[in-house]
Amino acid sequence: MTSGVPPALSQDLFPQDIIGWIFQLVWIIVFVIFMFYGQRIQTTIMLKEIASSLSRLKLMRDRGRKIAISTIQEIGKPSEDPTSRVDRFLEHVDIEPVSLDPSGIIERLDHLIDVRDVRFKDEVKVMAPLADDTQVNNLTNVLEAAIALNQVYKIIRHFYLMGKKTLSIYIIMQLQMILPLIMKESEAFASALTAFSLGQPIGDGVGSLVAAKLMQGKEKRQISKDIVVSKVPIEGRTAYVLKAQGPGGNVGKPGEAIKEVLEENDGKVAMAIVIDAAQKLEGEKLGEVTEGVGVAIGGPGVEKYKVEEIAVKYKVPVNAVLIKEDIGDVVSTMRKELLDGVEAAIERINRLIHEKTKEGDIVIIAGIGNTIGIGQ
Amino acid sequence: MSEKPPVVKKMSSLFLIVIFVMLALSIAALYQALEVYRNSGKFDLASITLSFSAIALSSYMFFQMRAKPMRLGFEMQKVFTTIQCSNCSFTSTRTFQRGDYILKEIEPCPQCNNKMIISSIYREVDEKEKEKETKLLS
Repeated sequence: MTSGVPPALSQDLFPQDIIGWIFQLVWIIVFVIFMFYGQRIQTTIMLKEIASSLSRLKLMRDRGRKIAISTIQEIGKPSEDPTSRVDRFLEHVDIEPVSLDPSGIIERLDHLIDVRDVRFKDEVKVMAPLADDTQVNNLTNVLEAAIALNQVYKIIRHFYLMGKKTLSIYIIMQLQMILPLIMKESEAFASALTAFSLGQPIGDGVGSLVAAKLMQGKEKRQISKDIVVSKVPIEGRTAYVLKAQGPGGNVGKPGEAIKEVLEENDGKVAMAIVIDAAQKLEGEKLGEVTEGVGVAIGGPGVEKYKVEEIAVKYKVPVNAVLIKEDIGDVVSTMRKELLDGVEAAIERINRLIHEKTKEGDIVIIAGIGNTIGIGQ
Repeated sequence: MSEKPPVVKKMSSLFLIVIFVMLALSIAALYQALEVYRNSGKFDLASITLSFSAIALSSYMFFQMRAKPMRLGFEMQKVFTTIQCSNCSFTSTRTFQRGDYILKEIEPCPQCNNKMIISSIYREVDEKEKEKETKLLS
């Protein structure tokens, strides 16, 4: 294009046909590279992304461990450094009962949960000798969140290193695809750790909060392990309102408590209402209240099973009142929108009692969830 | 816990090289198109548009790749405690203090001297986060 014309300085620097050649060459090189090494490049990029998330998870794990140690030192005033004990505790594993023969698995699981609970609390009491019962419960929750962060980090590291070793795109791709969800859950655990260390109520406690508001000012008694109950008159009916004993981080054994109340009353209960936090689907509003039938108790299923079993025995209808929230909100400090949800849930309970039972009936209202930061 | 979140460098050297090569080539192409216009008076709109787009894209990618503070989830949030008098309508809100819990009885009411309780403890969410949620819902 410039031939025949005396070249200017700029044309000397960037002759047009040479630039065109460079572009063509770059294009061909890129094409060839992508043709032969496309998958390898994709794998490398994915591994880099995983590595970056893994370093974030490591920071979370280390920070969680640090918070756990400093909270134990601050609250429990131990005479010796709890670091080595905490480090040992972070490696704790729970082995599920064998399911090859499912008969009696619920009892075996229940026993394991009890053993775990006692073991955790004993360990915390040794680590933090000056902590009271509420603080022991909170510290147990702190350590549980730290264990979760440690486990997540180690599992992701395992698959990352396996993917790197084998360069299997299938391992790497699966890991990269679920990573956003894992990061979200890990952030939730990190947030939970902060809330537990300060004893703040968490989103999971909405059910407990509903029960606490209903039983406020009434006499309470312990009915089963870590569960308190109050007799509350509601529109001429007698409601047995129960929740985990707060304000320490506790879920108690609500299934056992419901069973106890039913047996105390020879099964003459018109209705049981279970209130709990439920997973919000994307697009749903935080704190939205929905109703349904069935036992709304999360966790491994032991408490849910107990309620289902006793409800069938006495033919008691079980209703559920659910307050919707995101996984991130479940374990982090309660949001204001959830408080509005609590008020709406109380209205729903009153309406349910009014519509489905008659005066003089007995009703059970069970507020499910971790009662950290919620008294009674 | 009140420490600032660590700043983690997110600059990848490979991407940085790609961005700078792209930027250099697009500037060269733009220069070439302007030279052609100066010498022959021919205005190559396609080349100029493409060069400007490439410059804009590489600059955008560079700014996107800048080191950002990493969010780990341990950040301290604004948590408030609402105190309510059980007798009169007195209500006050203060920042959360360790030891606060819902339904805890605290100091007497400054208006009627009756007992006061903590009626709620809640976390305030950033306006940005709220806006994001509202946008997603709409």
